[in-house]
Amino acid sequence: MREKEQTTTDEDAELVSSCKKGNVDAFEVLVRKHQKRMLNIAYRMIGSYEDACEIVQDTFISAYKGIKNFEEKARFSTWLYTIVINLSKNRLKQLKIQSYREEFSIDDPVLTDGGKINIEPASCEPSIVERLEKKDVQQKVQGCINSLDNEFKEILILRDIQGFSYDEISDMLKIPEGTVKSRLSRARYALKDCLKKVIGDL
Amino acid sequence: MECNDVQEKLSAYVEGIISHDEKMLIDEHLTLCQKCCESLADLEKTVEYINNLEDIEPPAWLTQKIMTKVKTEVHPKKGILQKLFYPLHIKVPIEAVAVILTAVTALYIFKTFQPEVKFAKIPSEEVTTQSPLQEKDTFQRDLKSKENVSPPLPPLERGGKGGFEAEQPMPSKKPETMGKFKEAPKAPTPVVKQDEIRAYTGAVAKDESKTEVLSRAPKALSEIKGKIISLTINVKDIETAGKEIEKAFTQLGGRIIKTESLENKQIINAELDSKKLKELFEKLKRIGEIKENETELKVLEGDVSITIEIIKISTQPQ
Repeated sequence: MREKEQTTTDEDAELVSSCKKGNVDAFEVLVRKHQKRMLNIAYRMIGSYEDACEIVQDTFISAYKGIKNFEEKARFSTWLYTIVINLSKNRLKQLKIQSYREEFSIDDPVLTDGGKINIEPASCEPSIVERLEKKDVQQKVQGCINSLDNEFKEILILRDIQGFSYDEISDMLKIPEGTVKSRLSRARYALKDCLKKVIGDL
Repeated sequence: MECNDVQEKLSAYVEGIISHDEKMLIDEHLTLCQKCCESLADLEKTVEYINNLEDIEPPAWLTQKIMTKVKTEVHPKKGILQKLFYPLHIKVPIEAVAVILTAVTALYIFKTFQPEVKFAKIPSEEVTTQSPLQEKDTFQRDLKSKENVSPPLPPLERGGKGGFEAEQPMPSKKPETMGKFKEAPKAPTPVVKQDEIRAYTGAVAKDESKTEVLSRAPKALSEIKGKIISLTINVKDIETAGKEIEKAFTQLGGRIIKTESLENKQIINAELDSKKLKELFEKLKRIGEIKENETELKVLEGDVSITIEIIKISTQPQ
């Protein structure tokens, strides 16, 4: 489990209150700080790099507009990630990516955004074959994530990719912690089934 | 523990977030159940796969783009709001000033125009000043046929112009037409006729040949109260004098309320601005010999009711 920056509340609160006074520079600090994680959430949710970038932009703009109404009951980051997840889900509905919801098949092309990964500069180490294999696996995993239901997708991303605590996830998704656990269990089994089909022996 | 129960808890088992007792039970089951062992292995692998997903890096332009959008989309909105409200802030005072200006202009125009409208009537009324010439003719006629109904034509002609028709003094023999006289004309015009202005002595003064003997009317004083002035005027010819008096009132901006013709006398009730009283008296002096209540005259202000009693000078004593 990756436990990432979970104790940044005070720092953010200061910047947030500065933003509320209309300080755009303070907001820029927040953007720089959170954009990567948000982009990763959006990317794993949607599976498209360009779309993820758009969603991150939309999230920050709506966050800036709504920052005055943001009550500091929850962490600013939690609030941001809630927005990014909701916007991602809305985008998924918009795109009506029906094929993603179908059972993933080995014969199907892996539906990932290759843009970013493909333009990675070639390096000598590890070997090209290893790298290609690794990239291939990564794409297959992303393809499997794409094929999952949204409720499985988001919980896997938040827990197993982003490493949020059950408590935080419960806050973001507004579901009880018990539901988080049981849903996560089902999501893992669903992903396992998909990976078995795609990769073969795990 | 059944396989289903174990499988449900394997996810938590992988993360190690499970009670010690449960862990013991699951471990025990796993040693016996191959299927569940495989499930656990698969699950661990799956979690490993997903954990090993590499983070993607945001493009370098992302922050810049976000900040540009924030600055151009959020701040211009304030600008649009300001554009919408700014003219309103400005307009309200402008409209208020416009309304006030319009009102003031309208009032000014109204005030400047009103006197002109009044003056427009003057020429037609000036014509009536000729009547003294006809006075003697009528006088003669009246002397001869006092009992006859002889409607005076010249005043009727003037009436059309001057706006006081139905105000002509009628011969004393027609009291039944009195109702008609009650309709007072509403054409008051303050006009100073220079040729008629004479020095006002304030006392009973002999003016022209017409005035002879002063004989006070018995009714005159009884009507004095408040703003009422009663006066008596002695003339030779009641009819002509009545017309003259009415004319004088009209020219001074007064209003004839009632004209009453009785035998040997005529009573005119009229209203007049007290400032014009002096001029009125001067006019009246030309017509006949006046006697008025002096004390009342001085305290008066505004419009005054005037009762004039025209009495024919009895020629018998002479």
